[in-house]
Amino acid sequence: MLRLVLKQTMAHRGRLLLTFAAITLGVTFVVGTLVLTDTSRKVFDDQFRDASTEVDIVIRDAVAFDAAMGVEVERDPLDPQLAARTATLPGIDQAIPVVKGTGLLISDDKAIVPAGPSMLSSWTGVDGFTLREGHAPGGADQVVIDAATATAHDITLGDTVRVQADREADLRVVGLVGFGESDGLPDTTVALTSLRTAQRLLRLGDGISQIDVIAADGTATSSVAEDLRADLGADVDVAASQDTAAASAAAAKSQLGFITGALLALAGAALVIGAFLIANTFSVLVTQRTRELAVMRAAGATGRQVMTSILGEATVLGIAGAIAGTGTGLLAATGLRSLLDAAGATVPDGPTVLSARTLIVALAVGIGVTLIAAFGAARRAARISPVMAMREGALGTTGGRGRLRSGVGVAFTAAGVAALSVGGATESMPALGAGTAALVAGMVALAPMVAPAVVNLIGRGMIALTGRSVPAGLAREAARRAPRRTGATVMALALSLALVVFVSVVGASVRAALQSGFDEAITAELVVESARGEMLGGLEPTTLKKVEDLDEVGTVSPLRFGHWKDSGATRALTAFDPTTIDDVTDVDMVEGNLTDLRDGVVITERQAAERGLNVGDTLAMTFARTGTLKVPVVGLIDDDDARALSTDYLVSLASYRDWFTERVDATLLVRPSSGTSVHDAQVALEDALEGMPTVEVRDQASAAEARTASLDGILTMITAVLMLTVLIAMLGITNTLALSIIERTRELGLLRAVGMTRRQLRTMIRTESLLIAVAGLLVGTTIGVATSALFVRAIAQGGDLHLRVPTTGLALVAAVGLVVGVVGGLAPARRAARLEVLTAIRE
Amino acid sequence: MTNLLNDTPGTADTHAVAAPTKPVAVRARGLVKSYGTGPAAVQALDGADLDIHTGTFTAIMGPSGSGKSTLMHALAGLDVLDAGQVLIGDTDLTDLGERQRTLLRRDRFGFVFQSFNLLPALTAQENITLPLDLAGRRPDPEWMARLVDTLGLGQRLQHRPSELSGGQQQRVAVARALVTRPEIVFADEPTGNLDTRHGQALLRFLRDACDDLGQTIVMVTHDPLAAAHADRVVLLTDGRVIEEIADPTASAIADRMLQLDTEADDRPHTAASSTDTLQEG
Ligand SMILES: Nc1ncnc2c1ncn2[C@@H]1O[C@H](COP(=O)(O)OP(=O)(O)O)[C@@H](O)[C@H]1O
Ligand SMILES: [Mg+2]
Repeated sequence: MLRLVLKQTMAHRGRLLLTFAAITLGVTFVVGTLVLTDTSRKVFDDQFRDASTEVDIVIRDAVAFDAAMGVEVERDPLDPQLAARTATLPGIDQAIPVVKGTGLLISDDKAIVPAGPSMLSSWTGVDGFTLREGHAPGGADQVVIDAATATAHDITLGDTVRVQADREADLRVVGLVGFGESDGLPDTTVALTSLRTAQRLLRLGDGISQIDVIAADGTATSSVAEDLRADLGADVDVAASQDTAAASAAAAKSQLGFITGALLALAGAALVIGAFLIANTFSVLVTQRTRELAVMRAAGATGRQVMTSILGEATVLGIAGAIAGTGTGLLAATGLRSLLDAAGATVPDGPTVLSARTLIVALAVGIGVTLIAAFGAARRAARISPVMAMREGALGTTGGRGRLRSGVGVAFTAAGVAALSVGGATESMPALGAGTAALVAGMVALAPMVAPAVVNLIGRGMIALTGRSVPAGLAREAARRAPRRTGATVMALALSLALVVFVSVVGASVRAALQSGFDEAITAELVVESARGEMLGGLEPTTLKKVEDLDEVGTVSPLRFGHWKDSGATRALTAFDPTTIDDVTDVDMVEGNLTDLRDGVVITERQAAERGLNVGDTLAMTFARTGTLKVPVVGLIDDDDARALSTDYLVSLASYRDWFTERVDATLLVRPSSGTSVHDAQVALEDALEGMPTVEVRDQASAAEARTASLDGILTMITAVLMLTVLIAMLGITNTLALSIIERTRELGLLRAVGMTRRQLRTMIRTESLLIAVAGLLVGTTIGVATSALFVRAIAQGGDLHLRVPTTGLALVAAVGLVVGVVGGLAPARRAARLEVLTAIRE
Repeated sequence: MTNLLNDTPGTADTHAVAAPTKPVAVRARGLVKSYGTGPAAVQALDGADLDIHTGTFTAIMGPSGSGKSTLMHALAGLDVLDAGQVLIGDTDLTDLGERQRTLLRRDRFGFVFQSFNLLPALTAQENITLPLDLAGRRPDPEWMARLVDTLGLGQRLQHRPSELSGGQQQRVAVARALVTRPEIVFADEPTGNLDTRHGQALLRFLRDACDDLGQTIVMVTHDPLAAAHADRVVLLTDGRVIEEIADPTASAIADRMLQLDTEADDRPHTAASSTDTLQEG
């Protein structure tokens, strides 16, 4: 049996080529994602593990939670006496005070801005960094940097680099370090100084960030930790260093989790689109082999055996695709990394990790998708009766199942539309999600009925437009004749284009809302922001001082962002300066006002409604620094204006200082002093901030733009990736046409014999391709616009978010659809035209 | 159904006219066509010569594998020859390119094949007008009506081939072959898949088309009963025309064929050896 299956598969390998390609592409995507994220995970694991191997216990200020949104929270400095005291306790070999923070490296007046953090830390000698050259930093003017950065920026021992933290200093490079095996940390610059220097640069006084403890030989870490906890009290956090390493790695990796999720979702889409292609191929193969299978049945094979043999072929194909896809997936990981990089989501690179899990997933996905897609055809093959061997062209018809199918299709589509309208009306995301799923399932079931009808209509339109032409008419007929095949091909393209449309419409709507909200609520003419990602900190406090000192500046009002926990869920808040906020914003308050805010929290009207809160009630907010507080609600703000300030929760800067350790400003909203033009003020700001390369001064318009920059990056990346699914859908068209040409060889021969020219034949096949593509385009755009419109309504929840159907986006989709139609038909058309008339007739 | 193409009376006379007196529609000289190379090569045509006269009905006969279909394909510009000339009027078919041959087939020839004559997706009517549609021409409604009427297809025009009987399908094919008023109709075993009754009816259509309209017809067949409808039978053996029978009867053809088959069994299977012994009438 196995030999027969292998032989069959090999015999049809030409016909299976594109199917193989589709499986390979899908698996490539899955493997690429897994390899990418596994590699990055390993980098984080290694990094934090290496950093903790020599240290047994870490003592830090206690916090209520370690990390939020993938960023570790900052902790208050510790009393430096604590280190000395710890060192004297029994069972302790060393207690090393450590200072950690952020310090930008500037070499030759050029800032070195890595994709990841700019690390500034005191030298400990036990944190995983090992000297490659030179010596440890001793004097106040010395620094050690990582060898990777040194190589990349031509920095050698003896050179001077500027380290810019809360203060800045020019330091001499006295050593280069590596980290474990590698020359540094991925996407990171490392600056190591003496404890004093780090404290000075970070303006910590004599405070320290943590104490690295090495237990005496022969003592158990856990018992030492117990003793320390008992001795030092609950204000500090005593943790085994491997636990803190694991927690740090987990925090770093949680960002990867989002990326993995998003990429796997896109891979899933690619696989679903590919499944249509696979299903089509097997359906065609079974049809073309009806007679052969009937002979097998006549020779005594059971229906079950026939089915098994078809599924066997699917398995062979799935395995082949999985193996090839694993190979290409390793390459794709690199491509995905660059794509993420371009989208502003950098993930660290390291030695490629191909885990057993990835291999198993690849096989499971390859085989699973192929089997599921081939199942319908296999079942149909099992129903082929031996007498069909004797009948000419007797191909199984499916009247009964067709009716069942359309019944199911209508039911699903109706349920989907109903759920979508309910979801749209009640703004319920789950209803919309379920509705979309049901609608897609219904459309897929109805595709054999809907798609040919659409194709027919388009064909008519085309004929009306171009005049009656046999090739066009025949193309239309051909597309109608195999409704399932046409339906699946159309739906594959429709779904992939619907995704592109969806992303484009939702993206454009959210983008417009973000920008318009900003325009309306922010009255400041100028905005000072960090050019780096939000996760990588913001503006050091010196920035505000420099801005305040300028004569050209009338008002400057800082905003800070922070995370808090809301019974488990992480939320963002914005802190502002009540004394200046009115000068730089124009927000509508439903109750209370921002200028009076001292201790409480202002929440949006919507949050108030959802939580059943009113002014005077309290909201339980958990901050890392303070634990859970009952914060009084002192005002309600309009939803859209709050969005302009990036939040649903507003607190005063005074409260922020109490509740957070973080000291960086996210944004400075600036108004020029009276008599100073915006332009002059901007020039003055730029001059004053010249030495701070990561700080940007923006006018209102570009600030509004900048707010959508990361969204734009992500949308572009998603769209680029979705193009892969469109590509698979295009392969689907090529595949369907190529297979149908084989099936129609005699017909084509006859046409050629009675006078169809090669050119006409080519036109016919290309028209067929175009018809399918345009049908896919219409159906896809309809589904995409409809679902995205309802989604936008649901996200808007009565707010300021309006549906934006981007004409350029849709024009792009239309262009892509047409290109797919034209390109998809090229190869089959060429192949059909090459057919020898006689061979075709004689067959 | 028997009184076909009935607006032209006096058919019996035409039948009696000897073929050679008419002008030549197709002149084939020294046709050579082989398949494969080396020892496995098959000489399908080995210097065949043939004239087809305008307004005549010619049957090409011969043992299976003697090159009948190959000859017809060569005459109809469906195939490319290794050597030889096929003159249609002044034009040498073998000089024409692929596109010109296609246009020639479309505009000047009609075809009826043994099976799979019709496109399943098209209705009978669309199948009939296919060559005209391909040329972007409109059918002459009168001519169309007459064909449809004569072939008894009036009730079937909107049907698809799958809804037609074998006989009806072949009649649709004949209508298509005639719709362009071609110079020559080529038919390869047109009755091969039909029962005797339907086969005979179809042959009578062809006969009448020849008689009443002066339609030139070339038909490949191995059935003496079918060939008996022709004005002339051309006998083919091993890729050469070895003999012609004018005004054939079924029994005369059958006798001759039997004889040929026996001879074929007696001699070694080389293409060259047969010709000299076979110049009797
Ligand atoms: N495409 C082909 N490839 C190889 N041999 C062929 C091909 N077509 C025909 N032949 C051979 O050429 C010879 C003549 O074929 P054909 O003209 O079909 O004979 P007929 O119609 O008289 O039965 C036969 O021996 C046949 O096997
Ligand atoms: Mg033949």
